[in-house]
Amino acid sequence: MQEVALKGFGEVVKTVTLRIRRYDPESGEPPKYVEYKVPVQMGMTVLDGILYVKEHLDHTVSARYSCRMGICGSCGMIINGRERLACQTQILELGKDLVKIDPMGNYGTVKDLVPDLTKLFRNHESVKPYVIRDEEEPKGEYLQTPEQRESYAMFTDCIMCGLCLSACPTNATDELYLGPQALAQAFRYISDNRDLGLNERLNVLDSKHGVWRCHFSGACSDVCPKGVDPALGIQLLRQLLTSNVFVKFEQKGAPKGPDRKSVTGVS
Amino acid sequence: MTIENKKGWISWFNPFKYGTDRWMYSLHRLTGIALGLYLIAHVWETSNILNGPITWNKIMVDLDYPFGQHFGPLILSLILIAAAYHALNGIRLTIVENGLMLPRPYRPEYPYKAKSTRGLNDVLKIVLGILMIITAAIGIIYIYTGVIV
Ligand code: SF4
Ligand code: FES
Repeated sequence: MQEVALKGFGEVVKTVTLRIRRYDPESGEPPKYVEYKVPVQMGMTVLDGILYVKEHLDHTVSARYSCRMGICGSCGMIINGRERLACQTQILELGKDLVKIDPMGNYGTVKDLVPDLTKLFRNHESVKPYVIRDEEEPKGEYLQTPEQRESYAMFTDCIMCGLCLSACPTNATDELYLGPQALAQAFRYISDNRDLGLNERLNVLDSKHGVWRCHFSGACSDVCPKGVDPALGIQLLRQLLTSNVFVKFEQKGAPKGPDRKSVTGVS
Repeated sequence: MTIENKKGWISWFNPFKYGTDRWMYSLHRLTGIALGLYLIAHVWETSNILNGPITWNKIMVDLDYPFGQHFGPLILSLILIAAAYHALNGIRLTIVENGLMLPRPYRPEYPYKAKSTRGLNDVLKIVLGILMIITAAIGIIYIYTGVIV
């Protein structure tokens, strides 16, 4: 059985051209495309291709990566016009002899394929991505049923790769827009039954560059490599905010927090 | 030094490689801009009534037939389609952007096809698409034949 599975593995199937956008911050020259011919084996990912270039053709090509298995979220880039994780995209699956690789858009470029993710982390931080409580010191465990945990679990899968911000057309023109990642995380905490921090997050979310700026083009959910569906998080967050608008958020510390049941189906 | 790599407004009109919602978003922007420009032209056009009936009649004829007699009705038909699309897609967006007709949080499963842009959202798209064709057809029949269906 194993022999069958491994048949053809390690053989060079064809040669593919990687067209990589190069930018050298020290030269001060504008970015340019450079092509590299890479022999492709079965199962070889775009990241493997870039590493092949680095080893054999040009040591100066820079990319960010770590886990090589779609967990760390470091290797996001634009591959043939679509945001993808380089380590999760097989070259042969793309079915093209020319693979165009760009750094993610809507972020600055540090060098070659390395984006400057400051914006992503800043936005994430601004929505206070942690459970907020009233009491100074916890007096015991905060309990949660399996259903309650399931009601936000999908949003915890985010690996902060930042692909969604690169695909988002609102982010393309609004530099300060919180973006799908941060908004989905805001929903993850607000819809958590242990959390009482809606009021504290409101001034960031309910702002000119906050949750109302989304136009639901769904591109974030299309490209998300983890199935987080950030667009769903944003629309449900809006529903939560609008359906609670008559429940006066000022009742801070109201022990129940917002009405979650109408939005997530779980209170 | 880090350099800018913003996609800019041009990416509003780049729906390629994403899903249907992104296509509809691009079309929504495009029709919105077209309708905005049309509205300005329309206000200017009708404001010519202030210059008396002779100017008005001349403007009407000029605008209808600047490039032969098919131009006026054609532009009007296109604007009508744009208006029907923009209005109906606007209704869809009002519904889904308030979290209605969307799935509740679910467990993502490989290959991670997002559910928010599918399911009932797709049903809405089809219903509104049919309504759009009917609306536009009624309007276009009226423009070309003067018959109210
Ligand atoms: S929501 Fe998805 S695309 Fe966006 S940062 Fe998280 S894992 Fe990446
Ligand atoms: S290298 Fe970790 S996600 Fe690709």
